[in-house]
Amino acid sequence: MKLGRIWNSLATPKNIPKVFSIILGLVLLAGFIVPLTYNDHQLYPRPTPQLQISEKDPLAPYNRGGIPLEEPGIVKAQYPQFAPSEGMVTGYLSPIAIGVSNTTLYFGTSIYSSPGGLIDEILYYSRGFDTILESSILMMAFVIASWVALHFTMRRREE
Amino acid sequence: MDLATLGGQFLGTIPLGDIVLYLTTFNLFMFGAALVFTAIIAMSRTESQVEAEFGTLNEREKKVSKDEFKIRRFLSIVCGLATAGAMITGDLFNFTLFVCLIGIVNIGIVAAVKEVDVLDSAFQYGIIAMIATLPLFGGAASILATTGTISLLELVNIPTSAFMLFSSILLFIGVAGESGVAPFFATKAEMFRTAGSPFLVIIHLSSLLVIVRTIEILLIINKPFGV
Repeated sequence: MKLGRIWNSLATPKNIPKVFSIILGLVLLAGFIVPLTYNDHQLYPRPTPQLQISEKDPLAPYNRGGIPLEEPGIVKAQYPQFAPSEGMVTGYLSPIAIGVSNTTLYFGTSIYSSPGGLIDEILYYSRGFDTILESSILMMAFVIASWVALHFTMRRREE
Repeated sequence: MDLATLGGQFLGTIPLGDIVLYLTTFNLFMFGAALVFTAIIAMSRTESQVEAEFGTLNEREKKVSKDEFKIRRFLSIVCGLATAGAMITGDLFNFTLFVCLIGIVNIGIVAAVKEVDVLDSAFQYGIIAMIATLPLFGGAASILATTGTISLLELVNIPTSAFMLFSSILLFIGVAGESGVAPFFATKAEMFRTAGSPFLVIIHLSSLLVIVRTIEILLIINKPFGV
């Protein structure tokens, strides 16, 4: 009798997000007692978060060093044989980015740092396929939203 | 455990930088099945439902309009391609992205219908899919933190730790939420109660294939029967 009621409530779509979040919450709580092991020979290394900030580096915390096309920065790929020019453009700054980074200490955490600023080479070079997929997820979301908005699938006004 | 033990013969890799897709007989078969099914769906037309009206002898036919048909076909093809990609990818983060894409597109396929019940359950499914991104990406991220790699070809050789087990439970909850398996099936089951069958079937097929692939990935990460 009781079990039947539980199954019935599971068959109601409205209850499902609650059930899901309760299960997720319990698992996340259980995660606190799992011993954490951290591998510090990381695939995509970067300095300690506060290190560059204490050094008053305007690109902190994203400075990976390196001179564009001459000297590779600190980028470590899983398969270096598939990424022969690894780290070569990671230090590139566009003229605007150079201008901004000379005036403020917070360039690395500002919005300028992404487009045409600091090139995240991991995103665009060694893990480029992920970037394509991420943008296609975004594009599909826009396709769906704009289709629904254009076609008024719900009757919004009484006519 | 070896990749070949799980997937049959190891046929080769497709390197795309750090993301290395790999082919085994098992993966390749699922990849091919997803692609063939997508091709069939791309060529097919929708079914139309006929409903009897209560109290009279009339009947009502529910058809899918041309606009709706086009967007659904497009999203179904994207869904099929994402499923096919998830089958052969050899990178954990790449896999989670494919699953996420499938989740979003699944909502889109039913977002165009006019039945209020279906839209309601699609909304609930969307909420779950949003919540599920946390354990999905969190699981992949914590596997990267604890092993230092997310390439499946490397994870095969790393001995399992307690935290890897926990991360894979997180990952599984994420996939379960995105693909709507039991006990979260109710929202997805309600989403099928509408016209336009072949496009709805790809929702089903994608979750089935993704679950099979997730189990394979969890076996690769956790090696429950010894290395």
